[in-house]
Amino acid sequence: MHAVRNGDVGKLGILFERYHRTLFDFLVRVTGNAAAAEDLVQDVFVRVLKYRTTWRDEGRFDTWLFRIARNARVDYFRNRSTDAPIDAAAEHPSTAPLASETLARNREVARLQRALMLLRDDKRELIVLARYRGMKLDAIADLLGVEVGTVKVRMHRAVKELRDIFLRLDESESWNTTDSVGSYPTA
Amino acid sequence: MEHDRLGRLLPDGVDPREADELDATWQMLGAIESPAPNSERMRARIDAVMDALEHTPPSAIATAGKRQTSRHYVLQGLAAAAMLVIGIGIGWFARSDGSAFGGTRPTSNDATTQIAAMRTEMHDLREMVSLSLMQQQSATERLKGVTWTGQLDQPSGEVVTALLDALIHDPNVNVRLATIDALERFASRPDVRRGTIQAVQQQPSALVQIALIDFMVKTNERESVPTLQRLAMDPQVNEAVRARAAWGLQQLG
Repeated sequence: MHAVRNGDVGKLGILFERYHRTLFDFLVRVTGNAAAAEDLVQDVFVRVLKYRTTWRDEGRFDTWLFRIARNARVDYFRNRSTDAPIDAAAEHPSTAPLASETLARNREVARLQRALMLLRDDKRELIVLARYRGMKLDAIADLLGVEVGTVKVRMHRAVKELRDIFLRLDESESWNTTDSVGSYPTA
Repeated sequence: MEHDRLGRLLPDGVDPREADELDATWQMLGAIESPAPNSERMRARIDAVMDALEHTPPSAIATAGKRQTSRHYVLQGLAAAAMLVIGIGIGWFARSDGSAFGGTRPTSNDATTQIAAMRTEMHDLREMVSLSLMQQQSATERLKGVTWTGQLDQPSGEVVTALLDALIHDPNVNVRLATIDALERFASRPDVRRGTIQAVQQQPSALVQIALIDFMVKTNERESVPTLQRLAMDPQVNEAVRARAAWGLQQLG
């Protein structure tokens, strides 16, 4: 990042190789849409170039990067009517026969995924950062500009609400999506 | 993964039974898969942006992180000294005992008028420094000049014109990018809207074009739609810019 900040934009390729999967995973889980996540990853790296002089050595690079990613996502969906397509029918059903136990488990996972997408953006984002990105509490606190204690309280509320939605969701609603383990639509 | 268990992420005092239930949900979250990115396609898009930048002289890209020149320090020092003098003057006139430095207290009306005059002078001085910096040979100084305009409460038309001129004609990419940020405050002005639309068509740098498209989306500039349509359809235009223009059209649509 030092080199990129000092004008060696060719080094952006190295940053891309190192971080694009992480960013994509974060963005696809938060947006629920692979095509949007792909656009957003490109947007993030364009913004890294644009705002490279604002990066400070003392700050964690990945926190700075995720801050850019969060802003990019907000801008991306600002003028759209819905935040994320929760189009579970776009799943890819498996053709292979599955054991009934596996099927039941997959239904539950698919239902949980729907619940996650029904959660409010900021709560979903918090869960994604901790559960899938493994971000430490102090890093999340830094990213969100709040105290660690506040992150814990929000985490409690977020997971509690996720569980509530999950339990309330009518299982028949996820019937069509249950032949495969939860995954995200690609368009 | 760092947080395989939820417990450490919860505040103290959560009921253990509830914590177990929530942890079960937390564990199940681990089973949700996410698709792998199409790295090849994404890399091609990033490469298109970098290719566009390679056609920009390196000196024009690298200036932002460089050290400031001594001439810039002199200019900045002079401006700071002048502002200090003006500030002391304002303080002196604003004193309530009226006898600063053994002088005679000016009447209330005189003091108000003179304070206002000094404030105007300070504002004019800042403008002058900004405009002066923007005329310098060094891109770093011009960049500083553009940044200085952000300190002006109500910049004159001359400053806005200088910013627009820099946006279209400055040879340095960083200066042009900084100008876009500086112009955001004046996005409601018709000349700024016209200037940015004109600039996006004339830009040699894909990075600046993309930043301008972002600007138009951010300011909800619907008059830019025909221009963005042309950019999105033109095969001669850099691929990343075309994609960004198409994205901009979606946002504005």
